[in-house]
Amino acid sequence: MKRNFIKYLAPFAIVLIVAIFIYNIATHGHIQHPGKTTYQRECAQCHGDEGEGIETLIPPLANSDLAKQNFDSIPCWLKFGINHRITVNGKQYDQPMYGLKMDDVETANVINYINAQFLKTDRQINSQWVKQQWLNCSE
Amino acid sequence: MPVEDSIDYTIPPFSFSNQDGIAVNNETVKEKIYVVDFFFTSCPSICPKMKKEMLRVYSKYKANEGVKILSFTIDPKRDSIAQLKSYAGKLGIENSDKWSMLTGEKDSIYSLANSFLVSASEDPDAPGGHVHSGNFVLVDWLGRIRGYYDGTSAESIDKLLADMDILLAEKSE
Repeated sequence: MKRNFIKYLAPFAIVLIVAIFIYNIATHGHIQHPGKTTYQRECAQCHGDEGEGIETLIPPLANSDLAKQNFDSIPCWLKFGINHRITVNGKQYDQPMYGLKMDDVETANVINYINAQFLKTDRQINSQWVKQQWLNCSE
Repeated sequence: MPVEDSIDYTIPPFSFSNQDGIAVNNETVKEKIYVVDFFFTSCPSICPKMKKEMLRVYSKYKANEGVKILSFTIDPKRDSIAQLKSYAGKLGIENSDKWSMLTGEKDSIYSLANSFLVSASEDPDAPGGHVHSGNFVLVDWLGRIRGYYDGTSAESIDKLLADMDILLAEKSE
């Protein structure tokens, strides 16, 4: 009798456990991106929380054609800054960007964050790739 | 014998040039309420965010004759009138009468910062070579300081915008 009872309830128990699992993922499940804190500390003062930039003083990162087309240069921009006039999405910018003091892991995380949030390309990079790109910086 | 009331602290006289080479002094802000900040155009840290927040003040009071914004450079050696003009242009500021970016004698600017009770100094070790507070100072039509706000915080600038409305209402009473 008791056996039958457990047998009868088991499918319901499994459904319940799965439901709780899905509910947890849906409510607190999205783990914060490892590059988000670094982005907010190092980048957001100028480029904004949404990567929107500031007028024609600071270029946007959101959907930036320059960044998408020169993805491999991003590690060098972050390390050494940009000291020449650039064109982003049809507008010109010449406010100097300063190099940031971030290591290869922080740099990789922040690039993946910027890509996921603002550039939306299918690239996914790691700290090894960042170090490789740094070898080819022109500065 | 009645006790004398205390005397309000007021901003001492000043005169500087704005991005169009026009002199801005106490007379310019007479009968106005105005917001003051200190910055420099090559500032890599907090200034862009401060300017973004100040743009909210500029946009809101664009058509209000009773409001002015004064942004003083603490790096007058590099921030010439032409440099300030170019920086204002990049921010989309067409009206230098509404938002003046000001330059002048270095010592006068630093002593004016002291008058506004805002810290500013040269520091070769700081990014950009200068350190300064990110405060916005709200000053009333009698030259009295009425509030300090964190120019890098959107929430603090919400408060500034609300306080400016209160101050404008107080003035028109």
